[in-house]
Amino acid sequence: MIAVDIIISGLLLGGLYAMVALGLTLQYGVARIMNLAFGEFVVAAAFGAWWLYTANAISPLAGLIVIVPLAFLANWLIYHLLLMPLVRRAKSREVLEGDSILFTFGLLFVMQGVMLSLFGGQLYSYSYLLVPLDVLGTTVSANRLIAFAFAIVIGLGLYLALTRTRAGTAMRAVAVDPRSARLVGIDVTRMSALAFALGGALCAAAGVLISMFLTFSASGGVLFTMKALIVVILGGVGSLLGTLVAGLLLGLAEIATARLIDPGLTLAVNFAIFLGILLVRPTGLFGRSSS
Amino acid sequence: MSAARLWQAPVLLLLVAALAVVPLVANGYYLALGVGMLSYIVLATAWALFSGPTRYISLATAAFFGIGAYTMAVLSEAMPVAAVIVVAAVIGVAVALVVGLATLRLRGIFFVIFTFGLAELIRQIVTWYEVKITRTVGRYIFLDIGQEQIYWQLLALAVLVFVVGWLIGRSRLGLALRVIGDDETVARHVAIDTTRAKLVLFAISAAFMSVTGAVMAPRWTYIDPAIAFNPMISFQVVIMALLGGAGKLYGPLLGAVPLVLLFEVINANFPNHFAIVLGVVFIVIVYFLPGGVAGLYDRWRSGTLALPAAAARSHAAPGSAMLQLVRLRKAFGGLVAVNDLDLGVEAGEILGLIGPNGSGKTTALNLISGALKPDSGEILYKGRPIAGLAANRIARLGIARTFQIVRVLEHLSCTENIVAGLAFRPRPAWGDDARRRAEDLLNRVGLAGRGDVPAGDLNYIDQKRLELARALALEPELLLLDEWLAGLNPSELAIGIDLVQSLRDEGLTIIMVEHVMDAIRSLCDRCVVMNTGIKIADGPPSSVLSEPEVVAAYLGGADA
Repeated sequence: MIAVDIIISGLLLGGLYAMVALGLTLQYGVARIMNLAFGEFVVAAAFGAWWLYTANAISPLAGLIVIVPLAFLANWLIYHLLLMPLVRRAKSREVLEGDSILFTFGLLFVMQGVMLSLFGGQLYSYSYLLVPLDVLGTTVSANRLIAFAFAIVIGLGLYLALTRTRAGTAMRAVAVDPRSARLVGIDVTRMSALAFALGGALCAAAGVLISMFLTFSASGGVLFTMKALIVVILGGVGSLLGTLVAGLLLGLAEIATARLIDPGLTLAVNFAIFLGILLVRPTGLFGRSSS
Repeated sequence: MSAARLWQAPVLLLLVAALAVVPLVANGYYLALGVGMLSYIVLATAWALFSGPTRYISLATAAFFGIGAYTMAVLSEAMPVAAVIVVAAVIGVAVALVVGLATLRLRGIFFVIFTFGLAELIRQIVTWYEVKITRTVGRYIFLDIGQEQIYWQLLALAVLVFVVGWLIGRSRLGLALRVIGDDETVARHVAIDTTRAKLVLFAISAAFMSVTGAVMAPRWTYIDPAIAFNPMISFQVVIMALLGGAGKLYGPLLGAVPLVLLFEVINANFPNHFAIVLGVVFIVIVYFLPGGVAGLYDRWRSGTLALPAAAARSHAAPGSAMLQLVRLRKAFGGLVAVNDLDLGVEAGEILGLIGPNGSGKTTALNLISGALKPDSGEILYKGRPIAGLAANRIARLGIARTFQIVRVLEHLSCTENIVAGLAFRPRPAWGDDARRRAEDLLNRVGLAGRGDVPAGDLNYIDQKRLELARALALEPELLLLDEWLAGLNPSELAIGIDLVQSLRDEGLTIIMVEHVMDAIRSLCDRCVVMNTGIKIADGPPSSVLSEPEVVAAYLGGADA
């Protein structure tokens, strides 16, 4: 049953892509920071989980409790200390996008360099809950299922937080129009910092979950960044539903390509989908036009 | 050419000659360093040709470089080297056109992201093709080409890229790209075909990068896709161009020389910390050198290339129909901003378009000028349907506009702002002729002597004046003024009204959206009142303004 196999594996992978991308959509959609060092944060969290598990025998799921708040704090500090000068200086959204792209390039290389000197260039993995389970006739390992379940819980929690709480509503207002948000008394700087930190925390959580079943390396962050970017833009910047759908779509396409054609062509298929959809809908699947 | 610049040509020639004899005296190490430096100078300069003026951060350098290198690896045994270089350039241009056509119409950020993955994408496809179809990974290059020859070829390429860049800077294409970099919407409304301009430059830049790759390929005796499509090249080129300053032609050179040396030292002494240093350099540039060492403000110098002078445009006969809107409709979601609007404008008249806020006036102007496409209905300009045409094409037909929220090209001088209007109309003005005309237009709107001031430094009123001058530079037959008189003080208002009056006396047809009733009364022959997207009155201002429905629309009627 190769079709069922592809669908289940694709959805499991796509769910995690969606979660990685949710973090980026918060950072880009609300805080307007195009964070190209995003994948490095994913990998850093994966190394954190690896270290906790192999050196301290702390399970990755317990590791989330340590790593996620740490990532939140680190990203909050990065926003306030390093990005605020750029935000203050930027005259327009485009200028900030350009500056943040260049700054996060720098961050990307610094983080990659530090991780390379700490861990070297080889691939890392650890086996945690590597128990085969039977799902609708296909075999899936337990760690993938648990990671997927956590991704769903975290994604749902984020959705509720954004739609049901005052801070979430304020964040969505900033995403739509920072200038008007200020007029109704929303502290845009605070909300942007919060969104950036929350995005970073989400991406760390995704990194921990991914490390449970995928191999990772110090220089592998760029690929995560690329996929998250594709998902965010495909779904429509700022749209949570769009991010989810685009993430699942990408996961399915990737697994289908790998199983049916060639594992070496996954990125090519990703980009083909990216271009194909943008040519028809320039603002993404669920994006609103800005003009 | 001015006397101050006359010494430059011999000095540059001497410099190139001095560089050309380097291989005769330098040893292998320094020659290799020279080859590396020249290749990055060409790549960074070619990168800045496109990314400097458009401000699109392209990460496609590695892709094009790799295309060139791999083309050489595949074809070097089948063809002479010179032919392979041409083929490499052609493939590079073809890929650039495909990528550009797909992404350059979209927002700049999408372009960045796509180019971010382009090198990896092409590497995957080439690897897949080699493994599955030709069953090889990697190829040997057996060419008898030494370092010296590579050095000389790169030097020739460097000279060529500077000459091409210099010519582009002096051409209308160069100005078009600078206008796009400043404000793409304005670019379209001064008749620039923005997608085409970007595409042309992207392709030129890609050709240089591909040729560099082809020239460099014989340095490796063995090439596989991972060597050819090394993504680090893209990042290094970006950082070199930015350090030097992408806004000036010689900027990337200033960045490439020190950084190649720095990277060489780091690679020799701390190979494991290369990425960290690269990252720190990036961050330092963003914080402290946003314009590069070549300077924050790159002042584009107007060339002296003279184009045929523009002839006066023949105006339509007074009284004939200039513009006709037929059941024009535009909805934003459920809100119908312009609801089956019928409207005629005769040649030589000033039509006032008034109505409460949100009544659809600016949307109507946006539909006429091509900023928006109508959902249905027809726009006839001198009898010709123009609904749905691109803004740049409508501008070329003779419809110019100003914007409700003033849009000047902040980083360009006042003269350059107006030259942008002169250079892309059907009978373009260029060079000294354009400067003279720009000066006349500046005088006309009351900005005499301010030609060299950056438009961003003008106050609000003067920016509005400049915007009008830019619109007039297109020599329009129909001028759309969107609240051009708003925000003027009483004496400025009187001057502004006289100016608009003098434009009409010259035969211009004008549609003005306006809230200043004094101006409507004194200027307009006819007045159309809109409310909720519908025309509710049409006639001479005095009678229209006293109609009960108009009063109700403005002040709120019984049903409001």
